[in-house]
Amino acid sequence: MSRWGMVIDLEKCTGCQACTTACQVENNRLPGENWQDVLFYTEGEYPSGKLTWLPRPCMHCENPSCREVCPTGATFKDKDGFVLVDWDKCIGCKYCMVACPYGVRFYAEEKQPVQPDIRSVFPGNGDKMWNPPWQMPEARRDPKHGVGIQPTNVVSKCTFCYHRVSKAPAGTVDLDPSNPALRDFVPACVVTCAPSARYFGDLDTPTSEVRRLIAEKRGTRLKEETGNRPQVYYLAGEQSSIPETRSTRIKS
Amino acid sequence: MTTRTNPQGLLGLLDFGKKPDGVTILMMLGGAILAGLGLAYVFLQLFMNGHAAFNTSSNVAWGAPIAFYLFFLLTSSGLSVIASLDTVFGLKVFYPVAKRCVWLSIATLVAGFSILALEIGHPFRMLWAIPAGMQFHSPMWWMGVFYSIDLVLLCVKFYLMHTGEWHTKRAHYVSIASFTICILAPGTLGLVFGMMAMRPAWYSPVMPMYFILTGFATATAFILFITSLYEHDDKPAEEKRLYTSVLPRLFFVSLLAVIAMRFGQIITGLWSNYEGLEAHWHALRSPLFHVEIWLGFVLPAILMASESRRQYRPTQALAALLFGVGIFFARLELLIVGQVVPLFKGSFGGYAEYWPSATEWMLVPAGFGIFYVLYGAGNWLLRLSESSEQ
Repeated sequence: MSRWGMVIDLEKCTGCQACTTACQVENNRLPGENWQDVLFYTEGEYPSGKLTWLPRPCMHCENPSCREVCPTGATFKDKDGFVLVDWDKCIGCKYCMVACPYGVRFYAEEKQPVQPDIRSVFPGNGDKMWNPPWQMPEARRDPKHGVGIQPTNVVSKCTFCYHRVSKAPAGTVDLDPSNPALRDFVPACVVTCAPSARYFGDLDTPTSEVRRLIAEKRGTRLKEETGNRPQVYYLAGEQSSIPETRSTRIKS
Repeated sequence: MTTRTNPQGLLGLLDFGKKPDGVTILMMLGGAILAGLGLAYVFLQLFMNGHAAFNTSSNVAWGAPIAFYLFFLLTSSGLSVIASLDTVFGLKVFYPVAKRCVWLSIATLVAGFSILALEIGHPFRMLWAIPAGMQFHSPMWWMGVFYSIDLVLLCVKFYLMHTGEWHTKRAHYVSIASFTICILAPGTLGLVFGMMAMRPAWYSPVMPMYFILTGFATATAFILFITSLYEHDDKPAEEKRLYTSVLPRLFFVSLLAVIAMRFGQIITGLWSNYEGLEAHWHALRSPLFHVEIWLGFVLPAILMASESRRQYRPTQALAALLFGVGIFFARLELLIVGQVVPLFKGSFGGYAEYWPSATEWMLVPAGFGIFYVLYGAGNWLLRLSESSEQ
């Protein structure tokens, strides 16, 4: 049994959004409904203003508020630390979207953020949201764990690429994408990250790379005050910072 | 009090002997047209566009349909409380409206459930997934449980009243159970919002109290509006006192309490610098906010402030109607204020934009239409003016 977690080094991250694209392709996401997003922030004003960014997947919290509010048990925490949605149980009440402090849940049955709506070109068949030109192989789809093409009227979220990670050999501690033997089991966003800003491993193993980085580089979690205790840590170092969450200003 | 036997089953409960009056006919016909138009439009849009026909988004996940649903469900609970003032607390002055309030409570509850069924992604899956899930830690689970029990108890309570059982032991127990549930249900609905620490504009331990209170105030407005449509001169003195003095006063007092709580929310929100509470500044710029506060709360309070005006039926009707409009928009304001500040969307998002779509607005005539048809039918066939003989 593991407790999978991610470390994102903001000093290395270039904000290129390759993670967003990799996630979209891997998980058949609709454009704009990004399970893995990169958020951009401005800090200060000209001439000392700067642009910062924050890659933001689902935090797969230790105490996920999305799970606590779910009236059907569709959202659950797996024994290995994944927070997942059972699409066969989800009733689309969207309470989890309201309760997630990180805004990382998606209904998709809404006006698309990217227009024109690509679903008009690739309309869904059956209960699927759409019929993407490239599709996850049937054998890998797993609606009980929220993996595959999102059905209509349910909520979806980043799965930490459950369909890859859960197949990792037993006892694996670090899912290092540079190791060819493990590469197929590493989340798509980690594999694709060009500057290798992402690390994925077992948070319960003291010798894991992720634990070492968190300890040595002062790993920080977002919105600790909520008590959700994310399993995604950020390394800000001296060259970067975690931008404030607020996107609006009082009396603005 | 004698208990009426009913050999014809449920059909025998309906009293076809009386001809419906003009208001009742208008209510049923108008309600049928409203419900027909509203439901036809909503079904058509849902069939063509799915829930994309709503203007909700990843930022504003809960839109106007939830606000409309809140409006009907909380009003239902308030009406049930008014019905309990006599049957549970022995305030006999409320007997003349008790049966009407129970039926109104059922009608508003059905209207609210109908709106929810059209809003939720999988309404049929909900019927088995919620009971089977047994998610005790979810306030929404408890809300579903309490409102389902509420509907059953209201139907039982109405049946007992209708068959003449006002004062039997079991009628008393049913009334106590119904009253308990009609406090727990809106309270839990308040918790659905009030427990959301990640949504500071909603997070409040007094949200359940706010929901119970506003539901009660809306219910007094409902019953006052309905009774103000009829002359009271031919009524017995005690019943006349209910319509000209007790109900208007109760409405006025509960209206003042709502104003006090609402201003408390607004002032706290405007004063605080805590992240997420800037939504209250955003709300100030919305026309809905000013309709709610000035037209919906303050003006009715002014109208109801004088004893002589409180007794005047047109003033009662106007004040109750204005408050109804105000609280309707207050529900929508509440929904928006909790979601308008996006969570983790970067510097370029600004406030989340939301205005209900035509499909969402059409749920209003649909909901009110269902309510009018049910209430009109009850008024015609179910002897709602009936009161305890004790």
